Amino acid sequence: MTATFVRRGERIRLQLRPPEVDLLARLAGELRTALEEPGPDDPVVARLFPPAVLGDPDADREVRDLLADALLADRLAGLEAVLELLERGRRSRGRLVVDLAEEEPLLVLGVLNDIRLAIGARIDIEALDRDRLAEDDPLAYPVAVMDHLGWWQEQLLAILDGRDRQA
Amino acid sequence: MAQAVGPSTTPVREIRTESEVSPDLPWDVIVWDDPVNLMSYVVFVFKQVFGFPDHLARKLMLEVHEQGRALVASEPREQAERYVHALHGYGLRATMERPS
Repeated sequence: MTATFVRRGERIRLQLRPPEVDLLARLAGELRTALEEPGPDDPVVARLFPPAVLGDPDADREVRDLLADALLADRLAGLEAVLELLERGRRSRGRLVVDLAEEEPLLVLGVLNDIRLAIGARIDIEALDRDRLAEDDPLAYPVAVMDHLGWWQEQLLAILDGRDRQA
Repeated sequence: MAQAVGPSTTPVREIRTESEVSPDLPWDVIVWDDPVNLMSYVVFVFKQVFGFPDHLARKLMLEVHEQGRALVASEPREQAERYVHALHGYGLRATMERPS
């Protein structure tokens, strides 16, 4: 399988096959909607804006209120940036190719993580026994998507950590 | 854990209100285990947020993974809040608490 992230000089290049572009655009769009129009008791919101202070409900409310706007704005900005990257990319050999500048690799890393956290929250991954998941289980697909995006994250982290140079 | 209710002759420790607690007393910042965040990602985040060297970031990540939680910082309230903010931004489950 060809790499999703590769180093190009000082830059990192993102290269996606068309179904991957569609997948990432759809998931980023869905997460944006979930954050902009949160449903009551949405597990995604609960997971992305978790408790901040233990043992002191008043302080917890205080700190979470303090952080909520900035956390939400950063998450939405990251999603927006990634959706724009997908628009900006050029087609090359059947792939969408995007050269990432400056902070963009970090933004992509964070968005991939948020999307995986969101999927995990929706399928209640904490209660899921992956080893007992049948192939035709409706949760097999979201779990496979999480793993696929996790593999992208691993590639990106290897480059950000400089591990790709040592290999 | 169940607690005794009703009148008691034993002296009860007074509940301290906010104003009585020195704001400079350190708060413990704890990171909790999570089935989604990748181990390599958690190491990366620890290095980004705290500037930890690789071996320390890795040691703390393993502590989170194996023990379910790790103490990553002990700081005055405002700094603890900044760390929790940054860790939540990266999607880690992090809380702060006063050491008991």
